[in-house]
Amino acid sequence: MTFSRRTLLQSLAVAACVPGQAFSQSTGQRIVSLDYGLSSTLLSLGLPPVGISDLADWGRWVVEPALPASVIDIGSSFEVNFEVLLALKPDLILTTPYLDELLPKLQSVTKVSRLEIFTPTSGPILTSAEAATRKLAAELGLESKAEEFLANANAFFETCRKRLAGKNVPPVALVNFMDARHARVYSDPGLFHGVLERIGVRNAWAGQSNYWGFETIGIEDLSKVKDPDAHLIAFDPVPPDVFPKLADSPLWNRLPFSQPGHLSILPPVLMFGMVNEALRFASLLTDHLERQA
Amino acid sequence: MTISRRDNLGPALVALLLLCAGGIASWFIIAPALSTPAAPDMQAGYDIPRMVLYYSTLPRLATALIAGAALALSGALFQQVLLNPLADPTTLGVSAGANLALVVVSLFLPGLLGAGRDLVALAGSGAAALIVVGLGARRGFSPYSLVLSGLVLSLWCGGLAAILTYLNDRYLASLFIWGAGSLSQQSWVIPVSLSWKLVLVAIICGVVIRPLSLLDLGESGSTALGVKLVHLRFITVACAVALAAFVTSAVGVIGFIGLVAPTITRLSGARRPAQLIFWSPLIGAGLLFFADSVLQLVAGGLGDFLPTGAVTAIFGSPLLLALLPRLKIRHRIQHMPMRTHMRSFRLRMPIVIVLFGLVLLVAISLCFGRDVNGDWAFLHGASAADIFAIRYPKVLAAMASGAMLAVAGAILQRLTGNDMASPEVLGISAGATFGVAIALFAVAPGFSGQFAFAIIGAFCVLSVIFFSARKSGFAPERVLLAGIALSAMVDAVVGVLSSTGDPRAVLLMRWMSGSTYLIDAKSAFSEIIVAVVLVALAFAARRWLDILPLGPAPSIAIGLPLAKSRLAMFGLAGLMTAAATLTVGPLSFVGLMGPHLAREAGLTRALPQMIGAAAIGGGLMVAADFVGRTIVSPYQIPAGLVSALIGAPFLMILMSKKVR
Repeated sequence: MTFSRRTLLQSLAVAACVPGQAFSQSTGQRIVSLDYGLSSTLLSLGLPPVGISDLADWGRWVVEPALPASVIDIGSSFEVNFEVLLALKPDLILTTPYLDELLPKLQSVTKVSRLEIFTPTSGPILTSAEAATRKLAAELGLESKAEEFLANANAFFETCRKRLAGKNVPPVALVNFMDARHARVYSDPGLFHGVLERIGVRNAWAGQSNYWGFETIGIEDLSKVKDPDAHLIAFDPVPPDVFPKLADSPLWNRLPFSQPGHLSILPPVLMFGMVNEALRFASLLTDHLERQA
Repeated sequence: MTISRRDNLGPALVALLLLCAGGIASWFIIAPALSTPAAPDMQAGYDIPRMVLYYSTLPRLATALIAGAALALSGALFQQVLLNPLADPTTLGVSAGANLALVVVSLFLPGLLGAGRDLVALAGSGAAALIVVGLGARRGFSPYSLVLSGLVLSLWCGGLAAILTYLNDRYLASLFIWGAGSLSQQSWVIPVSLSWKLVLVAIICGVVIRPLSLLDLGESGSTALGVKLVHLRFITVACAVALAAFVTSAVGVIGFIGLVAPTITRLSGARRPAQLIFWSPLIGAGLLFFADSVLQLVAGGLGDFLPTGAVTAIFGSPLLLALLPRLKIRHRIQHMPMRTHMRSFRLRMPIVIVLFGLVLLVAISLCFGRDVNGDWAFLHGASAADIFAIRYPKVLAAMASGAMLAVAGAILQRLTGNDMASPEVLGISAGATFGVAIALFAVAPGFSGQFAFAIIGAFCVLSVIFFSARKSGFAPERVLLAGIALSAMVDAVVGVLSSTGDPRAVLLMRWMSGSTYLIDAKSAFSEIIVAVVLVALAFAARRWLDILPLGPAPSIAIGLPLAKSRLAMFGLAGLMTAAATLTVGPLSFVGLMGPHLAREAGLTRALPQMIGAAAIGGGLMVAADFVGRTIVSPYQIPAGLVSALIGAPFLMILMSKKVR
């Protein structure tokens, strides 16, 4: 099962990477990215960044695709280390509205491209992530590469949908446990919700979330999910005291989610990501649901 | 008998009223679940609305009742034994200590959490109580110094916890929720375990209640009657701490219930300690019950997650302000080592040394840094000018802010005659924080807009402090307590904003942690100009600052307008704090360290002390900025946080050393 995911990500990354590096050298594009989603999108466009922010936590939140060893850490995205940034001599810096207060300083270094994915008015995240990918590609002159990447991504979503179609796939609620009493639940217009729609899985959580795609709830609110077949998918990291505490809760024990097989834990997936993160989620979820069906 | 009966009538009525109001409000929460018919087909095996009612809604209401009672009892005990109408688990730092312990453990020893979140929090609150009460004991439990050290500890723990969270966990905000006190429940475990703990402590209280009443007679009176004061105090404080710790470890920080409930009890007519200790828990239970039910109704309507504890703190901390006039304060004359007639060269030497140190620090900070590979690098080569242009604004701004904070600290310590006075305590920094919070969440302006909001916030707090303290002729203690009460409120508001999990909260945390990061050349130079002007004003007022610490009588005797000169000095300190906070955040504690180190260096009179303090404060901030910039390069630790890490232990040492 994991084989299919690896193959996909590798084919996407490798196919794009090899000619891309040649391209980046030929045009001398030195790009620094201040957002995980944009960084992984750059990899898929075949133009690995020279530096990214928060490199140290990449393996904890993004995991895949792997970064080339040549990428330099430029500090946290809120406090980009300008001394390092200057030394990298970038041609282009990619940023998001979230980091707008850095904008004037970044612009004094070099050209800056500001891509909007998470804004109050941007609507469904997956759609705006695709739009941002196209916009980025247009600025880099890599339109065809982007179309290929997005087409591959859509094909992969379609494959997932077909793999799950006809199977007895339950609706799922997606959460990160904050502590033994609270969780974040992911829903419309979030990235994960968008993926669920594409691969034909129903989100068991009907509520609307904030524009980042999540909502903070007390765990008892999970009882709002009425469907007795619904499955709960929690992402790592789960705080160590959550499950022992929940086991003591009669309410939790009566929720459909506490029935054997109705709760599973997936490896971390970046909830504030772009198309690559959506692919990783789709792949992990499809594998998981297939295994269960 | 008749008097006592009338005394009981008022509190009984209030308790009844609150419980009824809470009952009505909670009926609206319960009613929908009751009105749905039981599931006709039981094959599903569960009936969701009923289950939520039995295992979430009802436990939550019960928890509110029990936690309210426990906190109120804790507050009443604290207030009685410390003879201090402002004492409460929040004002004594017990809750914040638990919070910090939890954050530290979950970040660095997550395995311990599996063993028990409660135990960890208990250890933290115990340690905080030990520090604050231990220091209080050394100072004869002076109401003022006890609450001041408690609140300072509270703010520091809260700030540090928030910043540690921010630095380590960008995407998970669980600790914000916990710290802000949420009552939501999924089982009866918490209310049941809380209630037997409450009963246990209540029994102990029943035993000590009679001797405790004698404390009102005053120390000599009760000692004459054979009450062993020390033992009694220890038992009572231990009970109060345990109650607060139990509640805090179970549901997080629920602010100010322990202050509000006993106060209402007293206002409604309870006079004797026994009455206070009996009625406070009932009123506290009613209060939190009512507050939480209303909050659930309102939050349900908004569809937002609101932590109960932070909301009670927002409404509770203004009460602290209102209570200030009830606190009896006598002016203490500053105990300063009177090494008069210092030879001029002995005065000059320390000043020359600290100024030289400052220049050296600035030079090191400008010339050294880390390169792309993380190696140390001396400023040289083609990129030198570019890198210099990045570094010097930070260094200059850090220096200017540190100097202003230190001079402001020197002024405040002279005005109040209190070792622990510092601009961080004045609440100005909290006001600026609040301004930035509003800017980020409501208006979302650019960088300059945030600056404007910070200034507005700082001045709002300043004017509130002035108006609330005007009646007392700016009695120094009241000004400081008013400031710190406002800080607590602002803290709570920030807690509410943060616990929604909105990523913008992280920006706020960044700002609070005192980062010099966003300083550009223009703001650095304006900071320097502001610093020069304000510090010069302070130097010009050196005569006032030499005389005011001697107390009201000498000042009036030589014709100094007491209220006006105090107003002017507080205003000046406030302005300096506001300007400095904008760059190094509300938590630096440089305003505390600077003047003290200057005095240790032998600079005791106003002018030399301020010069020394300015140089030392500036140097400390420059050093903090340098360390923060290089130690984990390419990541940067905010200068304010680095200096707070040094400043808080310094504060603790100071509080334990300078007895009286």
